[in-house]
Amino acid sequence: MNLRVTSLAETPLLDIEGDIDHSTCGGVGTALDEIVDQGRPVVLIDLSKVAYLDSGGISVLLSGVRRLRGAGWLGVIGPNDNVRRLLELVGLFVDPSFRSFDDRLAAEAALISEEQAR
Amino acid sequence: MTVARRDCSWVIRVRPETAELEQVRRFVQQVAREAGLQVEKTFDLKVAVSEAAANAMEHACGDEALLEIEARLQSERLTFFVTDTGFFRPPCPPRGKLTNRGLGLPLMVALMDEVSFSRAPGGGTRVSLSILLGQAT
Repeated sequence: MNLRVTSLAETPLLDIEGDIDHSTCGGVGTALDEIVDQGRPVVLIDLSKVAYLDSGGISVLLSGVRRLRGAGWLGVIGPNDNVRRLLELVGLFVDPSFRSFDDRLAAEAALISEEQAR
Repeated sequence: MTVARRDCSWVIRVRPETAELEQVRRFVQQVAREAGLQVEKTFDLKVAVSEAAANAMEHACGDEALLEIEARLQSERLTFFVTDTGFFRPPCPPRGKLTNRGLGLPLMVALMDEVSFSRAPGGGTRVSLSILLGQAT
């Protein structure tokens, strides 16, 4: 698994390539924690190049959502059908502090409209 | 004419380390291809078998004994058996604030048609994960 921290519309974005399982989820968790520790209210994770994710990856997402609750939200971009089904199964899609976008364009549009509403 | 699917089985043994989970998933992928499963069911099996294997690895704590995963394909079902050595130990990685352990079992139950636990002949724990092929493929 490869991980890069970039940004989209001035919002931190974790760009991940590869599987997020019990052996690789620690790295994602650490990177996500570091961003949240900086006080950023919104964090994006690009999952479009993540073919596989299990409870190791889900744990990291749940922790991120929990930490951002109240202050902001965690957004994922481009999960494949199977990953999306798993995230729905564990109830992430009904969590108000979690959002999912089809692609970066949709995420960017949401960030901009939220900025304008402020 | 109906063609009876021949019963067959496959086995792999891996070191009880999470780095081996990728190899476990490749094994599941190969078996699923033999069984003619669709992408969705293959993914579900990968997750369920990984969760069972990860649970066993969490309790292995440096134990050298290999973890055995057997796949058995029968006419109406495909079952994966994940068997550990049977020495119970508390989980060894410290349970930090970020872990959400306990998700694995509900995921196995949600994704599989049947899940069962039993004691293996050698005294270990055996997790059986089945999908019924009539409705699953």
